Amino acid sequence: MSILQHILVYITVALALGYLVKKFLLPKSLFAGKKRSSKSCGDGDCGCH
Amino acid sequence: MSKQIKVALIGNPNTGKTSVFNQLTGLKQKVGNYPGITVEKKEGICKLPRGVKAHILDLPGTYSLNTTSLDESVVVELLLNKNDKDFPDVAVVISDVENLKRNLLLFTQIKDLKIPVILVINMADRMSRTGISLDIALLEEKLDTKIALVSTRKGTGIDRIKELIADYKNLSISPNVDTTVIAPDYFEKLKATFPKEDQYKLWLVITQDVNFMPIEKNPITITASFATKSKSELKRLQQKETILRYQFINGILKQAYKVDINAAKGLRATLDKILTHKIFGYAIFFIILLTIFQAIYDWSSYPMDFIDESFASASEWVKDTLPPGVFTNLIAEGILAGIGGIVIFIPQIAFLFLFIALLEESGYMSRVVFLMDKLMRPFGLSGKSVVPLISGTACAIPAIMATRTIENWKERLITILVTPFTTCSARLPVYLIIIALVIPEGRFLGLSYQALTLMLLYLMGFGAAIFSAMILNKIMKIKSKTFFVMEMPNYKLPLIKNVVYTVWEKTKSFVLGAGKIILAISIILWFLGSNGFSDDFANADEIVSEQIEEQGFSEFNKTNIESSMTAYKQALQDSIGKKTYVLDPVAISDSLRLKEMALIEKATNQEIASYKLENSYMGYMGKAIEPVVRPLGYDWKIGIAVLTSFAAREVFVGTLATIYSVGSDEEDTIKNRMAAEIDPRTKKPLFNLASGISLLLFYAFAMQCMSTLAIVKRETNTWKWPAAQLVFMSLFAYIVALIAYQILK
Ligand SMILES: Nc1nc2c(ncn2[C@@H]2O[C@H](COP(=O)(O)OP(=O)(O)OP(=O)(O)O)[C@@H](O)[C@H]2O)c(=O)[nH]1
Ligand SMILES: [Mg+2]
Repeated sequence: MSILQHILVYITVALALGYLVKKFLLPKSLFAGKKRSSKSCGDGDCGCH
Repeated sequence: MSKQIKVALIGNPNTGKTSVFNQLTGLKQKVGNYPGITVEKKEGICKLPRGVKAHILDLPGTYSLNTTSLDESVVVELLLNKNDKDFPDVAVVISDVENLKRNLLLFTQIKDLKIPVILVINMADRMSRTGISLDIALLEEKLDTKIALVSTRKGTGIDRIKELIADYKNLSISPNVDTTVIAPDYFEKLKATFPKEDQYKLWLVITQDVNFMPIEKNPITITASFATKSKSELKRLQQKETILRYQFINGILKQAYKVDINAAKGLRATLDKILTHKIFGYAIFFIILLTIFQAIYDWSSYPMDFIDESFASASEWVKDTLPPGVFTNLIAEGILAGIGGIVIFIPQIAFLFLFIALLEESGYMSRVVFLMDKLMRPFGLSGKSVVPLISGTACAIPAIMATRTIENWKERLITILVTPFTTCSARLPVYLIIIALVIPEGRFLGLSYQALTLMLLYLMGFGAAIFSAMILNKIMKIKSKTFFVMEMPNYKLPLIKNVVYTVWEKTKSFVLGAGKIILAISIILWFLGSNGFSDDFANADEIVSEQIEEQGFSEFNKTNIESSMTAYKQALQDSIGKKTYVLDPVAISDSLRLKEMALIEKATNQEIASYKLENSYMGYMGKAIEPVVRPLGYDWKIGIAVLTSFAAREVFVGTLATIYSVGSDEEDTIKNRMAAEIDPRTKKPLFNLASGISLLLFYAFAMQCMSTLAIVKRETNTWKWPAAQLVFMSLFAYIVALIAYQILK
């Protein structure tokens, strides 16, 4: 049980780290596989954190 | 897939293009009662009768095809370039029934480009109020087009637009006005040189005298002789063209457009006189601001406390219910604490957005812009910079986008650079919690000190923006100032549906946007806080127990145990006195001993937890930055929170919540935890007036928002400006916070 909990923690931390790196460190264009829709950042609201 | 009809919605600013767009496509783009809301192309699909589909393009407003700013040039670039993938099969010109004359100028220009065009006359619901009557059949005949009389408010006329779009092939494409008469020789020459091109189009290309940034891919390369013919000469001809068009329009409107002058006009004029008065105007604005801030405090404290407590009990529930282990701790101490740090601010944020939406929709915001314009001029900023500065109270990102309406590049740059000083909604959580902790609750003339402090912080943000604009203005030397014509929209009763929707959308994106970052940061912080590499961390239990045996508890815990015990004794005594209990002396001393043991265990655990935290990875990191933040009155934990909020300011509270809850058994509200923090050096509460003010000032000025930096980079096309912003603003914030703390401590 305790092993399982540890594994879960490591997975969560890795996901969180991955998210932040993707969000702030890598250029957006890497992920713009498809054409970025007009709903991308700068929608006129604050939705682009 | 059958071919879609490509439709472009074009029109003067604030005529309701986006409202029509939303009605046609069922999308919900932002609508607002002042010009310049839409600054980018927006696309959507509309189903027409007989199974046809239309691809609808919403465009920024433009007064004419002789553009002067970046957002307007979007429209001209599109219409002049037949190869553009969005080049419309049919243009729909949206006009406002109350400003038909001015709106028709643009209509005739587009008509002359020989693009099929439909005229939508919007805001029909206002005709009876303002005493306007129209002869639609006559207008259709004279303008040689099809007209839809629409009210997006009432939802009338939308089907007519759809029918007209579906039938676009039947529209006439002959021009309204023969422009060549303004300079017959010149146009003759043009025709001779470019026999294949349309003359009016050529004329537009030649006269694109854009002084902000050159239009890059001109569809036609023009020989130098035409382009440089003589700027003033071209300008003169352009004026002639405008006059010609107005003559044409006036001739038609004289017959088809009647206004009953007696119908309400007076109310608006009176209101405008008061609201933009040079004394009352400011006074009213001031009062409105105060009311807003007071309301944010008064109305939202109940839901806020409720949410705070719910999260505390949720963590407790998780710990009690899930099998014990590190992952359970992660959920209870990391994730829930962090998320709680943003969720508790939903009520206030929603209120703030509600007020902004009401002010915008009612038309009052434009009066504020007008007032501010008068205030700003001496500082070298024009009125066009005011819209971004004011809309920056929600978020700097759309505000920076809104600078696209500024023609002059330098002026636009200055506005971009100073806009982040405006107090955006992300600062609100930090302000609210710190103010609640350090500013006393008293009231002055019915206004709480807390609300006044909040307002002061907002004003300071504006002040800093104006002040730095003034300095930048001195350094950069703007030559031609933008000429500002603010069009005053009509007062309108805010549409509940619009307002509710805006508030909902903005709050949602605030919470979700910030929530994801906060979630990720909380998880990582929790991990860093509950793991360590040193022996001190691994053997924390023994080390701390030994310490307690040798030196006793820390001051804080000692007094805490003592006072808890006295309180407990008192309570026991009282209930015996009231005969709720009858107890023999042995039972009393037993119960006292039990209580004391429980307190000692709690204190021991707490000291172990804080020892562990200090020796965790995070503790080491915190200690590394502590020397930097110490002079501002912060400890290493606040230091970490300040550091993480360079990603986004909202992260501050969530970070502190996570740090404080790592390893603690007690589940408590965020506010109580912050209030209970003791500065080990001064033995006073960590959040006191001096450190609190210092924090408020730091957050007021520091550039802590990665997304804003990214937008500035995008809008200025270089990293130079965002980097400068980051360095200068943060340095400035540091110095101000330092001075404040050193004076107040
Ligand atoms: N009374 C009335 N108001 C309307 C109608 N259509 C739109 N409005 C209001 O007019 C204002 C402007 O609407 P928008 O759709 O944002 O106008 P826009 O042309 O897209 O404006 P920009 O994007 O700034 O150029 C908003 O306050 C709308 O609520 C209408 O039919 N009747
Ligand atoms: Mg719009």
